[in-house]
Amino acid sequence: MNPSVSQASAESVVDRARPAALSTRRTREKATGATGFFGDHRRRSELVGQSLTWLCGGALAFNVLLVLGIMILLAWNGLGYFWQRDLVEIAMKDGTKVLGEVWEIEQVPAEPGQAADTAIDRVRVKTANRDIGGLDFAWIDESAIAGRRLPAQAVLLERQEWGNFHGFMTELREGGKVVARGPEPVWERFEILHERAMERRERVEELEKGAIGDVNYEIEQLRLDRRKLEIQELPAAELQRRAAEIDRRLEERQAEYQQLADRLFKMREEMLADTLVMQTVAGETQEMPVGNVVRAVRPNDMGWLDKAGLYFSRGWEFIAADPRESNTEGGIFPAIFGTVMMVFIMSFAVAPLGVLAALYLREYAKQGLVVRLVRIAVNNLAGVPSIVFGVFGLGFFVYLIGGSLDQLLYPEALPTPTFGTGGILWASLTLALLTVPVVIVAAEEGLAAVPRIVREGSLALGATKFETIRRVVIPAAAPGILTGMILAMARAAGEVAPLMIVGMVKLAPTLPIDARPPFVHLERKFMHLGFHIFDVGFQSPNIEATTPLVFATALLLIVVVTVMNLVAISLRNHLRRKYAGSAI
Amino acid sequence: MGSGETPRRRLLADRLARWIVSAGGLAIIFSVLGILVFILLEVWPLTTGARVGLSQPVPLAGPRAGALLADEHRTHVAALGEDGLVRVVRTRDGAVTTTLDLLAQAQQPGQPPGEAPVREPQLLTDMDVPAGSQALAAATRDGRVLIAPIRFEITFEGQNRVVAPAIDTPVSLVLDPAGRPLRAFAAQLGDDGGATAAAVLADGSLAIVRRTAEENLMTGEVTESLERFQSRVPGAGEVADLVMDRDRRNLYGGTTDGKVLWWSLEGEPGDPQVTSAGPSPVTAAGLLIGGRSLVVGQEDGSVSVWFQVRQPDETYRLTRVRDFPALTGPVRAIAASQRDRSFLVYAANGRMGLYHSTAHRTLWTGEVPVEGGTSLAYTPKADGAYLAGGGKLEEIRIHNPHPEVTWKSLFGKTWYEGADKPEYVWQSSSGTDDFEPKLSLTPLLAGTLKGTFYSLLLAIPLGVFGAMYASQFMHPAYKRYLKPLIEIMASLPSVVLGFLAGLWLAPRVEQAMPGLILMLIVLPLFVLAAGFLWRSLPRTFRGRFRVGTEAILFIFVLAFGIWVCFQLSEPFERLVFGGNFQGWLLDATGLNYDQRNAVVVGLAMGFAVIPIIFAIAEDAFSNVPPNLVAGSLALGADRWQTVTRVVLPTASPGIFSAIMVGFGRAVGETMIVLMATGNTPIMEWNPFNGFRTLSANIAVEIPEAPQGGTLYRTLFLAALLLFIATFIINTVAELVRQRLRERYSQL
Repeated sequence: MNPSVSQASAESVVDRARPAALSTRRTREKATGATGFFGDHRRRSELVGQSLTWLCGGALAFNVLLVLGIMILLAWNGLGYFWQRDLVEIAMKDGTKVLGEVWEIEQVPAEPGQAADTAIDRVRVKTANRDIGGLDFAWIDESAIAGRRLPAQAVLLERQEWGNFHGFMTELREGGKVVARGPEPVWERFEILHERAMERRERVEELEKGAIGDVNYEIEQLRLDRRKLEIQELPAAELQRRAAEIDRRLEERQAEYQQLADRLFKMREEMLADTLVMQTVAGETQEMPVGNVVRAVRPNDMGWLDKAGLYFSRGWEFIAADPRESNTEGGIFPAIFGTVMMVFIMSFAVAPLGVLAALYLREYAKQGLVVRLVRIAVNNLAGVPSIVFGVFGLGFFVYLIGGSLDQLLYPEALPTPTFGTGGILWASLTLALLTVPVVIVAAEEGLAAVPRIVREGSLALGATKFETIRRVVIPAAAPGILTGMILAMARAAGEVAPLMIVGMVKLAPTLPIDARPPFVHLERKFMHLGFHIFDVGFQSPNIEATTPLVFATALLLIVVVTVMNLVAISLRNHLRRKYAGSAI
Repeated sequence: MGSGETPRRRLLADRLARWIVSAGGLAIIFSVLGILVFILLEVWPLTTGARVGLSQPVPLAGPRAGALLADEHRTHVAALGEDGLVRVVRTRDGAVTTTLDLLAQAQQPGQPPGEAPVREPQLLTDMDVPAGSQALAAATRDGRVLIAPIRFEITFEGQNRVVAPAIDTPVSLVLDPAGRPLRAFAAQLGDDGGATAAAVLADGSLAIVRRTAEENLMTGEVTESLERFQSRVPGAGEVADLVMDRDRRNLYGGTTDGKVLWWSLEGEPGDPQVTSAGPSPVTAAGLLIGGRSLVVGQEDGSVSVWFQVRQPDETYRLTRVRDFPALTGPVRAIAASQRDRSFLVYAANGRMGLYHSTAHRTLWTGEVPVEGGTSLAYTPKADGAYLAGGGKLEEIRIHNPHPEVTWKSLFGKTWYEGADKPEYVWQSSSGTDDFEPKLSLTPLLAGTLKGTFYSLLLAIPLGVFGAMYASQFMHPAYKRYLKPLIEIMASLPSVVLGFLAGLWLAPRVEQAMPGLILMLIVLPLFVLAAGFLWRSLPRTFRGRFRVGTEAILFIFVLAFGIWVCFQLSEPFERLVFGGNFQGWLLDATGLNYDQRNAVVVGLAMGFAVIPIIFAIAEDAFSNVPPNLVAGSLALGADRWQTVTRVVLPTASPGIFSAIMVGFGRAVGETMIVLMATGNTPIMEWNPFNGFRTLSANIAVEIPEAPQGGTLYRTLFLAALLLFIATFIINTVAELVRQRLRERYSQL
C-alpha cells in the first residue's frame, strides 16, 4: 500500500485504510446520507464499530505498554542499583537516630473504619549494619520523625561480610596501636591503610587460588591415583611399590600444603592486623579489620561527578568480580562466564547438527509427504516445553551417558560422580537439542531463499551438486543460518528450567576453564545468569536486601538476550530484503 | 572449480556428500525425535507388574516353624520352631548354621547345630514376627509371651561376608498367671525397653500386659512397671489372629465368625470395636509398613485392606477400604514389605498373591508348590520372601520396583491412610520412611490447566485483538517497529518474568487488587474516551498522521489509566470491599488470598503467551487475500464490518491455531509458575490462591528423585504427558495453518 495515498485521504479512520474503500464510501454517503432511520442505523453501527476498533487498538497499545513497562522497570531498578544515595540521619521524636539510605516512601492505608486522612506515610530506610541490628531495612513512620540531616562525615562501608555498614569513623589502629582518632584524621589515614590491606588481600587470594589450589589439586589427583591402583589387578609387589611411591609423593604434598597453609595463616593475620573502629549513629562502636572493607565512601560529601565515578566502579565490580556473601553481594562474573561458555559449547554442537539436518531436508531429501511430516515434527519440537528437554538431558546425558563414562573412565572416583552428575557439557548438549529446531527452521529458510537461478548457474558451469551447495548455496544462506544461530543462542542464554536439572549450581567454586590440565573442565558445574536470578531472588535468606542485585542481573540478561535478538532480526530482514522477489 | 581433481573424484565426493548429509540429517532428525522414545523407555517399567520366581526349595529341619526372619542379603533365615529353638538356615543349601534358644533365660552365643538341646516339641503355642520389627515372638504353653530381637551381624573375612546371627535376651511377659496355654497372641517390643503383649487365654478372654520402662534422667536407673488389662472377645467366634502395630497403640484381631476387632491400647484398653468382614471366618491378618493399614485374609480366600477412618463425629472407625480379587483357597499367611505398601498373601492350597494397597493393584498371583505352609516372611529389602511348610523352605524371588503406580492411582481418586475419603493428592515424599507416597497427577494437571486458563484469559483478547488492529487498522509502516517489539516480547527469558511476577508484581497486586479489578472497567473507558477525543479533533489535524496513530496515543492514555486505577484502588476498596479486599473475599466467598496466586501467574504467563498468539494471529489476518477485503468494501461494508464479517471468519482457523500454540506454551511454562506461585499442589479454581503445575513439579522434585525410582519415573511420565500434549497441540495447529495457507492461495 502506498503511504502517501492513505495520508492524503483524511476522511475518517475507517475510510482511510484502503484506497479502494475511499471512493465507495464517498459515493455511498452521498446516496444514503439523508435518509433518516436508515442513516441513523448506519451511523450507530459505524459508531459501535469505531468504538470496538479503538478497543482493539487499546489491546495493541496495552501490549506495547507492557513490553515498554517491563523494560523501563528493569532498567530503572537495575541501573539504580549502582547509584549511591545519600546517607540520611533521621532523628526520631523519641530521641533515637537512624542513619541510612531512603529507598522508598509508601502510603499505608488507614485502618478499616477510620477516616481516610489517617493514612500515614512510611519511609523504608536501608540502615545496613546487619551484624548489629540483624536487619538491613527499617520502616519508619513519617509521623515519628523529628528531623533529617545529611552529615558529611557519615561513612558507608562495603564489607566482605555482613553487608554494608553505616556510621562514623572514630579510630584507626595499626597492629593494635591507635594511629588516628576522629572522623577526619581517620578518613585521611584510612585510605593508605586500606590500599595496603587490599594489596595484602590480593596476595592472600592469589596464594589461596594459586599455590594452595595447585597443591590441593595434586593431593586430590594422587588420592585418585591411589584408588585407581587399588582397583587395578596388579602383582602384589608391583602394587606395593607403586603405592609406596604415591604415598611418598602424597606426604610431600601434604607437607607442602601445611607450609603453605601456615604462610596463608600469617598473611591473613597480617591482612587483618589493622583495624578500624566505627561508631553507629546510635553510639555503638564496632571494630573491624581494614582488610575486610571493600570500599569506604562518604556519600554526603560526594559531588555528582564522584558519584558517577562510583557508579561505574560499582558497575564494573558487578560484572567483573566474584560474588560475596553467598551471592547476595559483589559481582556475578562466574555467572556471566558460565552462561557465555555454555552458550558457546551449545553453538558448537548445534551449528553442524542444525545445518546438516536443514541441508538434508531442503537439498537432498525427496520432497514429499514424509519430509513434510518430518518438517512439521521438527517445527513442533520447538514448542515442546523446555523442562521436558531437561528431563531427557538428566535421564540420557547425565545418568545414561555420564554414568557409563564414569564407569569406563573414572572408576577410581566412584561413587563420587564425575560426568554422572549435572555439568556444563550436559547442560550445553541439552540446550543444543532444545534449540536445534530453531536452527533447522532458520537454516532451511535461508537455504530456500537462495534463488534457483544461482544454483542453476553453478550447475550449468559443471559443478556437482555438493560443490554447488558448498561454494554457492551455503555462502548465500549464511546470514539465514547465522540468524538461526543467534536466535538459538539467545534462547539458550535465557533458558533456565532444563538447566536447573542438568548442571547449574548456586555457587561454583571454580570456573569450567582454568590453568590446570586439561584446562577445559566440561564435567564441572557452573553458574548461570538465569539461575542466579532464581536462586538469589527466591532462595536467599535475605530477599529484601538482594532484590536490587537481582534486578541488575535480570537487566543484564535481558539486555544480552534482546541485543542478540535484535541482531538476528535485522540480519533476517536484511536477508529477506536481499532475496525478496528473487526467491524460488 | 575443482581444477586439480579428476571428474571421477569430484563425482565420488559428490556422492559421498549426498550420503553423509542424508545419513547425518536423518540421524539428527531421528535422534531428536528419539527424545520421545527415550522418555517412553524410562516410563515403561512403571507399567510392568512384579516379576516373581521360585528357587529350588531347601529342607527345613525341626518341628513346625511358625515364624521366619530373613537377613538383609538373603543368605540366612531364622526359623522359630514350636520347640522354642531358632534355627538359622543357610538359604544356599539348607544347612543349619546356628541354633539359638528363645526359652533360655540368659543367652549364650549361638551354638553349633550338633550341640542344640533336644527338647520336647510344642512348647510354643503360637509364633510370630511382630509387625515392622526384626524380632521373633512366641506364646508358650505355660501362659507367657516371649519377644526377642534377632540380629544378623555381618563381619568380613577378607572379601567374604560372614553372617553371625545373635539373639537378645527375650522379654518375657506373663499373660496368664494361671499358667494355661495361650492361643492367638500379638506382641511388640519398643526401642525404649517397653513392651506390650496381648493374647487370648484358654478361657477365650483377652489379656493385655504392658511393660513400661522409665529411665531416671539423673541417675540413669531404669524402673520398670507392669500393667495388666483384661478384655473380652465379643461374639461367638474364636480369635484366629492378632496383630499389634509398632507403636503399641492399636491391636487388631480377626475371629472365626467373620468379625474384625480393634482395641485401642492408649490408656486403659477397653472393649474392642467390632466390624463385620462378612460370613467367612477371618483366618489371617497383617499390618503394612507404617502400621496403619490392616490386611485381612479370610477362609473364602478374600483379601481386604482396612484402616481407621475419621467419622463426621470425630470418632474413628475401622473401615474396609479396598478389596482385592479373592484367592481360591483359605488365606493362611500375610507378609508385608518393609519398603512399600506391597504385601504377599498365601492360601492353604498353595495359591499366592502379591498386592499393593495404595495402588489397589494385584501385582502377581501364582502357585507355590507348598501346601500347608506355616509361615511367610518378606525379606528386609523386599526382594524376596520365604515360605516354610512341609519340612521345606521355599524361596520366592520378587522383583517389584514400581508397585505404587496404576492409571487409577495416577489419575483417579485414591483413599490414602488417614484420609476421610478417597481424594486426589500429590505428596511424593516426607521425612519418615514409612510414608505412603501419594502420586496423583490430577492436582498437577488441574494446576496446569488453571495456570493456562488464567494466562489465556489475558493473552487471547490482548493477542488476538491487538493483532487484528495491527494488521487491519494500522498503517503498515508501524509494523516495522511493532514486529521486532513483539519478537523481543517473546524472547524475554521466563526467569525474568517469573522474578518480576514473584517479587515485584505479587506484593503490589496484593496491595492493589481492587485497583486491578477497577482496571477492567476503567481502561476500556479511557481508551474509548481517548478515541472519541481523537475523532473530535479536526480532520485536517488528524490527516497529518498515519492510520492507527491513535494507538500510540492510547499507550499514554493506558499508562495514565493504570496510574489512576492504582490511585483509586484504596478508595474503591473502602467503598466496595469495606476497606479490606482480602477480608471481604474471605467473608463473602470463603476464598483465601495467597500473595503468589493465579492472577499473578496469569498476568506474567499471559505476558509470555501474548507475543506467540499475536504473531500467528497477525500472520493469519495479514494473509487474508486482499481481493476479499476489497470486495467487501466495494459492496458497501465499512471497515469494521469487513473485518468482523469477512476477515475474521476467513482467518479464524489461523486464530484457532494461534490460541492452540499459545495454549501449548502456557502448559509447559516452568519458571514463571515456579516463581510466581506457592507451588502447593491443591485443586481449587480460586484465582487468588496458588497451584502447582506438572512442569514446576518436575523442576522441584526431579533433582531429589533417586534415579530409576518410582518418583523418578512418574516425573518422566509427567514430562511425557507434557511432550505429547504440546506436540499434538502444535501439530494440530500447524496442520490447521497449512490448510489455511492452501485455502488462501485458492481464494
